Amino acid sequence: MKKEAVDAVISGLKQAGVEVVCYLPDSLLKELYPALDADPDIRTVQVTNEGEGAAICGGVFLSGKRAALIMENSGLRASVEHLARLGLGAGIPVIMIMSHRGDLGENNWWAIPHGITMEPILDALRTPYRIVKQTDEISQAIQDSYTWSYNAYHHSAVVLSGGIVR
Amino acid sequence: MMKRYECMQRLGAQLDDELVILSLGGAVDEWYNAAPHMREGSLFQQQLGCVTGEALGLAIGLPNRRIVSLDTDGGLLFDLGILATLGNEKPENLFVVVWDNESYQSIGGPKTHTASGTVNLAEIARGCGIEQAFVVRDLDEFEDHCRRGLGAKEPYVIVAKTDGILQPGISRKHSDGREDKYIFVRHVEKTEGVSIMGPSEHN
Repeated sequence: MKKEAVDAVISGLKQAGVEVVCYLPDSLLKELYPALDADPDIRTVQVTNEGEGAAICGGVFLSGKRAALIMENSGLRASVEHLARLGLGAGIPVIMIMSHRGDLGENNWWAIPHGITMEPILDALRTPYRIVKQTDEISQAIQDSYTWSYNAYHHSAVVLSGGIVR
Repeated sequence: MMKRYECMQRLGAQLDDELVILSLGGAVDEWYNAAPHMREGSLFQQQLGCVTGEALGLAIGLPNRRIVSLDTDGGLLFDLGILATLGNEKPENLFVVVWDNESYQSIGGPKTHTASGTVNLAEIARGCGIEQAFVVRDLDEFEDHCRRGLGAKEPYVIVAKTDGILQPGISRKHSDGREDKYIFVRHVEKTEGVSIMGPSEHN
């Protein structure tokens, strides 16, 4: 992930008013995590699985502050239970930013399931998403995601793909 | 064996402006009746494995407010990793009570892993670096731990061993998760002076 893309994610988060980021580190976004940790305006919480991260983000929402859950798209599978209960059960939104593993061009066999399962799971959770492939589209996509989720009170996602993570 | 309802009455008597996140099952109706003054300040959810995580998020978002997580043995076993995160994050305003009745009471009482006697949730918490973690079996001790936990400047976890008998004769709370969320959010907005679910823009 290039520095411009890292900066664009952090800029988008700040434009959206995000103060807390929960993450489980992954390889495609690996440059993003230390940059978030180093940012004085963002409190980061490393979690043990993405479902736990979703729950923490839900709690941050209830406090009136804004949170993001950042992860590989495989983390969606680990967090389905939590996301379903929070979003579909109670209307507590979690905004997710995830790397697009398993897209066409994927060169790791173990990552193929991540691409195949991502969109059906997002659809099953009635969660709209935008797949972003250009760095100059990142910040607006993140802001749009927050605007939607804070009117729908439901989850939304930004998928970082293409040249952003390759 | 302690009764969960009596524990709740002792805990509720110590609460005023705290915020409570609680678990699913019979504990929801019991808390609704045992601490009626805390109804608006309590988030009644049906969220296995989400309770202490949500409470941590709330504690991070409101560092000057005392947050109470009322979790359960089944719920915590579902998401044990949260203890490791609590151990690392060390929130100064989060008090966790785990109602451990050694069973999945809400579905009729099949045993959880704590029923074997070999699984100790407080020991797991201590192994995660949460030094203030205790198994409690006596009502007066429970009350005393609540007092200390509510004033602690580090995460404090009580595993309260209770019987699996639902308090008889209590009324059912009949709102759903969405209504409960609105009630809770409006209470946070009012007491914190913030807007969480505000009006839409006109355009």
